[in-house]
Amino acid sequence: MGRSSSDRIEKGDAPSARPPRPGISWVWVPLLPFFLFAIAFLLVPSISIVYRSFQGPQGQFTFGNFVELFQRSDLIRAYRNSLSISFITAIAGGVFGFLLVYAVILGGLPRGLRVFLMTFSGVASNFAGVPLAFAFISTLGRVGLLTSLLSSVLGFDLYRSGFSIYNIWGLSLVYMYFQFPLMVLVMAPALDGLRREWREASQILGATGPAYWRYVALPVLLPSILGAMILLFGNSFGAYATAYAFTGSNLSLVTIAISAQIRGDVLYNPGLGNALAFGMVIVMGVTMLGYSYMQRKASRWLR
Amino acid sequence: MRRAGVWAWLLFGLGMIYFFLPLIASFLFSLRKLQDRLSFEAYRLVFSDPGFAYSFGSSLRWAAFTIVISLLLVVPTVYWVHLRAPRFRPIVEFITLMPFVVPAVVLAFGLIRAYARPPLMLTSSPAILVGAYVVLSLPYMFRAVDNGLRAIDVRTLTEAAQSLGAGWVTVLWRVIFPNLRVALLSGMFLTFAIVVGEYTFAALLAWPAFGPYVVLTFQSKAYEAVALSTLSFGLTWASIGVIQWLGRGGPGQAQVAGAR
Amino acid sequence: MLNRRLTRRDFLKFSAAAGGSALLAACGGGAAGPAACAAPTGADTIALEELTRCAGIEGTLTTIALPHDWANYGEIISTFRSTYNLAVNELDPYAGSSDELEAIKANQGSTGPQAPDVVDIGVGHTARAIDEGLLATYKVATWDTIPLKNDDGYWWAEYYGVLSFEANLDLVDNVPEDWEDLLDPQYAGMVAMAGDPSSSNEAINTVLAAGLSRTNNDWATAPQAGLEFWKEMVESGNFNPVTVVAGTLASGETPIGIQWDYLAIANNDTLAGNPELAIVVPHTGVIAGPYAGGISAYAPHPYAARLWWEFVMSDQGQLLYLKGYAHPIRFNDLAARGLIDQFLVDFPDVAAKLPPAEAYEVAIFPTVEQLVAAREHISTNWRSFVFGE
Repeated sequence: MGRSSSDRIEKGDAPSARPPRPGISWVWVPLLPFFLFAIAFLLVPSISIVYRSFQGPQGQFTFGNFVELFQRSDLIRAYRNSLSISFITAIAGGVFGFLLVYAVILGGLPRGLRVFLMTFSGVASNFAGVPLAFAFISTLGRVGLLTSLLSSVLGFDLYRSGFSIYNIWGLSLVYMYFQFPLMVLVMAPALDGLRREWREASQILGATGPAYWRYVALPVLLPSILGAMILLFGNSFGAYATAYAFTGSNLSLVTIAISAQIRGDVLYNPGLGNALAFGMVIVMGVTMLGYSYMQRKASRWLR
Repeated sequence: MRRAGVWAWLLFGLGMIYFFLPLIASFLFSLRKLQDRLSFEAYRLVFSDPGFAYSFGSSLRWAAFTIVISLLLVVPTVYWVHLRAPRFRPIVEFITLMPFVVPAVVLAFGLIRAYARPPLMLTSSPAILVGAYVVLSLPYMFRAVDNGLRAIDVRTLTEAAQSLGAGWVTVLWRVIFPNLRVALLSGMFLTFAIVVGEYTFAALLAWPAFGPYVVLTFQSKAYEAVALSTLSFGLTWASIGVIQWLGRGGPGQAQVAGAR
Repeated sequence: MLNRRLTRRDFLKFSAAAGGSALLAACGGGAAGPAACAAPTGADTIALEELTRCAGIEGTLTTIALPHDWANYGEIISTFRSTYNLAVNELDPYAGSSDELEAIKANQGSTGPQAPDVVDIGVGHTARAIDEGLLATYKVATWDTIPLKNDDGYWWAEYYGVLSFEANLDLVDNVPEDWEDLLDPQYAGMVAMAGDPSSSNEAINTVLAAGLSRTNNDWATAPQAGLEFWKEMVESGNFNPVTVVAGTLASGETPIGIQWDYLAIANNDTLAGNPELAIVVPHTGVIAGPYAGGISAYAPHPYAARLWWEFVMSDQGQLLYLKGYAHPIRFNDLAARGLIDQFLVDFPDVAAKLPPAEAYEVAIFPTVEQLVAAREHISTNWRSFVFGE
């Protein structure tokens, strides 16, 4: 289906059996259940974030929550930490995840490994929270398996060398556990869409492997890769349970701060919590718009 | 097909080390329940706890409902977008990305606030939990269906079916769904993994589920908790493997079994 | 896979949701039978016979946030169930105090199984619960012997614990005896709290207790002193940021934890000597963490709720707490009547695990105002003061 999308975009794949009728278009009607569901379970609850973030403790309208947000250094720090981890895991997760899925799909590995990786990624992309935290504590914690192995076999004291799994870099390493699989799952269809004919055609025209990548494959894949990375960013930004189990009192993140205000055992300032959430929605909304843009560019090549 | 290069094996090997080392560490820890020797005692204790079967069974139930409703919601919608309403694609896609935009904790509270009172009293019914789970599954279901529809000629299939007298329901049910079977698999098993592992909504909406059960076990027990998490990883993986195996073969873009 | 008939696509969502709800909705506990008793009004004690009769008609009690391993709630619930022949519908055992109040609010309009009848919340949450009208009033038969309660009958303390140190004896040679000991360099990287002071009640109390130890129980300066203590802990490198649970103690990641005594002893039980934990109540800065019980203002089973509290606050119920290593709030009254001594004789294994009684004599009970003020100070300054952010 090599049809260019621009001239058919208005009518889709449907045949024009009759000339378009004037008047109201009813084409959106079958989409109604989906939209109603989205309104009921997404829009309505999300709107509550917005107006609650402007509510004070007695329910009055106020900008106070946002003022407090910008004044409190620990909350600003929470945003910085969350953004840092999200950037790190999006880029590192994107790069290595891409290499991994490339190796399995186009690297000539046995086909069974692809199935293995895909099913494993399905599970691993949702392995988070206390179990994941504990698994990494058991591996790279102060008395973890790997830490002990390194010190007993190689005489290398991991923690004395400055490494710690309980800071931003350590937490990022843990986050990779669900970021790599997410990248794998998202990029697999895009790699499938890289047609063999293009490779063969470029070889016929005399292009070497790297040249093929530079002029054909990467430009085609880049929007998908960037789009997937943005998805990874969002996934990381919204993660909560793993971080809390890990470094509950050491590292502040936005999701932890929100939870502390809304459902913690100590604080209760839902206005502030919702203001924090509103900030999150803005950050994420911007990244999602970026993602949508990337996806549209990418879909040109996947038809 | 090209011979696998050294780099491919190296990358794959590195990936596997990264993924399996924590699992192995957890597994080894879970075997240490009885002092001085390795045993499966922790696993025996996990299985003998009625809460395990109850909460896992509850989550399986939620997963089944979520998958069904998500399929019924997403497939006709994306089909229609492909066929007749491509202009609505950006907004549909944006909606499916919303779970990444709004944090679960806040969404849960929003749901509670909105649906705690008549006439839209939903908080006393599990529909609110399943609804929340369907929202979480949207990004994955949409991608799966979208990719699947791209691989088949929607227009021709629809035309052919309609020229044979099929109505819309028949077209969807007997033509589109079967052709999408393989593509739907990835969406289904991701939804399954999400629901079984999910904690926030189940806890806040106070319904029995596996996620809160695992967290609770970690609060009060050591070896059994790690055994539980290892077990749940394995069970989820096995379930996904089963879904994958059941849906093998058939047309439509193979999401998992490789087009090459 | 799908074997249902599809109705018109436009109504798919509604029919699926409605059908799903119908399939999933659990029936409420009440059966058609004798007419339900009129809803109780006022806070006056109701006679046990009437409570039992009316609760029997209601048939069910819905509880929330009562893990079976916490203060022996497992046995308390099962004893209640068998004594009064009522079903107990247990909602989310992992809920926090805030979640419990949310659950009441979320189910205000419903009498279904998701609406909790009774709650067990931290004392610090009681003010909010009363303000938002979430609690009903009731005074149990043993009301006069309860030392910590709300005079109108909105809430009353059920049990308390004190913060204790739990040390992994495989890794810790000298078990710390008091707060200042924790700063000793031999405990580098060892001491962990039960969470984050901005969201965990246990952690906030940990900071506060350290402060009380330093300021000799002066409430005004204790919060800041607590922050200073933990700042020194962080700077000396003794502070371990991991949230302490049984697993981290067992694996050796957090050799020393600070938790409520009943949780610490329960941890020791579940680890079954693998490893062995030493549990020590510090000499100074012994803060009592009581939990408050209340009845939901929207309880679907008001009589069952009151019956539950009659049971829990009775001698029998209070002693069941002690079996779970938590101190019943009516401890002094029970001791004065010789029931504690009798209990210790009947259950020597429990007696052996409980810290010595002298440790509890210096326990301090914060008032709600003191607790709220301390929390405010500690949570807002925790990150900036202790970590310099």
